[in-house]
Amino acid sequence: MIPSPISQFRILSGEAVRDAARRRIVAGMVVLSLLSLLVVDSCTSCASGPIELNGQEVEASGLLGFTSILLFGMIALWTVALAGVLAADHLTQTLDDGSARLVLARPVSRGVFALSRLAGSLVVSLGTGAVLLGMSAFFLKVRHEYGFGPSAWSAGVAMLGAVTVASLAMIASFWLPRLLTFLLVFGTVAGVAFTNWTALAGAELSPFWSAANQFGPPIGTGIALAASQWTGHELDAQPLVVGARLLLWAVFSPALLAVLFSRREI
Amino acid sequence: MSAFAWSGVTKAFGDQIALAAIDLAVPEGATLGLLGPNGAGKTTALRLLLGFARPSRGTVRLCGLDPQDPAARDGLGYLPERVALPARIPVRRMLELHGQLAGLTGRDLRAEVDTVLEQTGIADRARDVIGELSKGLTQRVGFAQALLGRPRVLLLDEPTSGLDPLGIRDARDWIVAAKERGCTVLVCSHVLSEVEQVCDRIAILSRGRIAAQGEIGELVEAGETLEDAFVRLVRG
Repeated sequence: MIPSPISQFRILSGEAVRDAARRRIVAGMVVLSLLSLLVVDSCTSCASGPIELNGQEVEASGLLGFTSILLFGMIALWTVALAGVLAADHLTQTLDDGSARLVLARPVSRGVFALSRLAGSLVVSLGTGAVLLGMSAFFLKVRHEYGFGPSAWSAGVAMLGAVTVASLAMIASFWLPRLLTFLLVFGTVAGVAFTNWTALAGAELSPFWSAANQFGPPIGTGIALAASQWTGHELDAQPLVVGARLLLWAVFSPALLAVLFSRREI
Repeated sequence: MSAFAWSGVTKAFGDQIALAAIDLAVPEGATLGLLGPNGAGKTTALRLLLGFARPSRGTVRLCGLDPQDPAARDGLGYLPERVALPARIPVRRMLELHGQLAGLTGRDLRAEVDTVLEQTGIADRARDVIGELSKGLTQRVGFAQALLGRPRVLLLDEPTSGLDPLGIRDARDWIVAAKERGCTVLVCSHVLSEVEQVCDRIAILSRGRIAAQGEIGELVEAGETLEDAFVRLVRG
């Protein structure tokens, strides 16, 4: 009897997680992530007291706490980019080495196979991201008494953004070589976040970037909205709309991946 | 009913025609040798049958279904020309994974994995990591995964590639055993003697067309070997 698509997904995604964890790139990512944690630890552990900045006396803990919030945002973005990089060749690698064909000669649908590879890479990247964001949130809470709520919102935004970027990276890898896909992931994540923040700051955008800001995944906007709960700044963005757009992208991108992979000749 | 069939199938890659209007049907329980020089279209025909590619024109059927439908591949065993197995996992683990995908569970799964490990002579290597095995042993592991779950249809692309003479004889025995229990077998091979020993029908592909098909006895003329007939039909 043919196993149900859900059973097949469970079997294949388990294998995809083990496959992702065995990759050399993961070791590099873990080292970089640990370094990021050291930076966060360093930025949040300074002693309190007044310091002089541009001739004005400011409270060190306040300034460094603000830097920590920025760093937290950067780590959320790093989690999104990490998901894209790990996913970039997690599916095409199986096509290149031929192992996908052995699995797809079984009664397994292409969609189930593609989504299981996506899930495998996401478990590793989101696991790393959860540790990074969790530790950073802990430092912010313990050392600066910033609440956990905005951290949870940021983590949610990073998770939805990671699903979107990982799916789109897998799609791009059908046509682009690995290195170019990596660069595209970093460029797109940075570009979209910067555009979102530029728009929030009220700056004029060119038609292309304006469209990217209006219709693209609002990863930067979501992170800024979460951080604004700490800083108290009012931003010109509706949390519900931003959340709905992030969710829509996180559903649409994997669905597109499944459809495109089903139509692809292997 | 045909176990699998190509009806009026053309496959083009841009301007290049890989297969040109081929018609070939293989009845259930038959053993077909698909022969042809390099670039004749054998691998393309196999890819269409596995649902890895779609025909530009015509229809392909596997167990009466469109090969794109996962149900068509239920009970299918496949051994690719270049066996690609995950290098870092043990042999048994890989076989269990494929057994699960073939619908085996629990005790049945373990028993079936033990059976194919014994049958292909790699029971003592079950715990070894695949990447550490020789080419011949890897080919045996590939055979073991293809034979898992007693497939109804067995598609073998250059099945004896990398095997030593003992392995070649074993592979022949495995194919004959599958044939004897009613499995429909397709063997794509360059080794004519191998095809002659295990297949009851052959089809010769040349430049994307079926140059000849039928029982071996019908295609080989008096005083000819299969190799002579192959050369005559391909060049003729």
